[in-house]
Amino acid sequence: MAAIMDIMISFVIGGVLLMIILTANEIAAENHMVYNGDMLVQEMLVSTVAILEGEFRNMGFGVDEATPTITWGDSASVSFLSDLDRNDATPPDTIHYFIGPVSELSGTQNEIDRLLHRRVNNGTVSSIGAVTIFRLSYLTQDGVILPRPVPAPRLSEIHTVEVSIEVQNPYAPLNPLGSNPEALFSSSLWQQTRLASQNTRR
Amino acid sequence: MTIFAFVLLTTALNNFYRLLGASGDDIATGQDGILATTISTSYMEIAQGLAFDQQTDTSSAAIGDISVLTDPAYMGPDVSWEDSVHKFNDFDDFDGFTLEKEAVGTGRRYATSFAVNYVNPNDVASISGTRSYVKRMDLQTWRTFPPTPVADTLRLSLVLGYFHFD
Repeated sequence: MAAIMDIMISFVIGGVLLMIILTANEIAAENHMVYNGDMLVQEMLVSTVAILEGEFRNMGFGVDEATPTITWGDSASVSFLSDLDRNDATPPDTIHYFIGPVSELSGTQNEIDRLLHRRVNNGTVSSIGAVTIFRLSYLTQDGVILPRPVPAPRLSEIHTVEVSIEVQNPYAPLNPLGSNPEALFSSSLWQQTRLASQNTRR
Repeated sequence: MTIFAFVLLTTALNNFYRLLGASGDDIATGQDGILATTISTSYMEIAQGLAFDQQTDTSSAAIGDISVLTDPAYMGPDVSWEDSVHKFNDFDDFDGFTLEKEAVGTGRRYATSFAVNYVNPNDVASISGTRSYVKRMDLQTWRTFPPTPVADTLRLSLVLGYFHFD
């Protein structure tokens, strides 16, 4: 009788141990996926921003002092002048950044991600990354936020541009497609202020 | 024997969960680093758009006499109304300031402190006690909200030299 009791107790303890280990294993797998998602979006954000930042840094480069650097400024699109080929003989290039419709990335689980596009002059449109937020604000020298789209006569008042970008994971590994529309997606945010022209002060 | 096995298992699980927590903290620190960098570089960008000195802001003539530049002991805002970033007109107005900014959409707040000094033009790493044509801004940015037990501080420096087009 005592032997049977021992075996039964061993089974119970063994079962409890097995449950603990299985739970720990499950938690580890979930955490791994969440952390991996977080890391992925941070890398996606940094690679998108590296392109954007380099170009915004050169905003107004090679542009005549009397010419407004920004030729169009809205909440999710901007056009500005910059001499990309560094050739004084040709007019400055017009660079246009804008976000596309969400339908461009309808194949992903994330319903609000979209492509960030770039076009130089009237060339072909290229995509520099997937974002969920691409928001632009335009400020005057005194820090006054201009209305968007910025009226043409006020474009020359733009002193700084505040750029906000959010990148979310296109997939929520823990929530398979269709199981939960409010699935938690990893996200990463970038927010920076850039001068409309580096040559505003001599 | 059974108790020993339980103790062993509990220790292993504790270490396991601690490791998981540490990985999560590292990832969160990565986001903090991104936001702290963007906030710091935003201030640096604004500072780069300012005049080198109060003298060069109010006069378009080239500075030939170095003694007209701001005294090293009087860096910082030149008048009382220069009390915010958008009212600053020269590079050293930032000196002594600590500004707090919220990264919109995240709820996180970051404080940045500034120190501006003249530096030796031949060695911008060394602060000069006398006037020179080169200034250095040192920024320190850290998260203030939500509070963190181990606050990582981001340190950046920006060097600005005086130049003039004749």
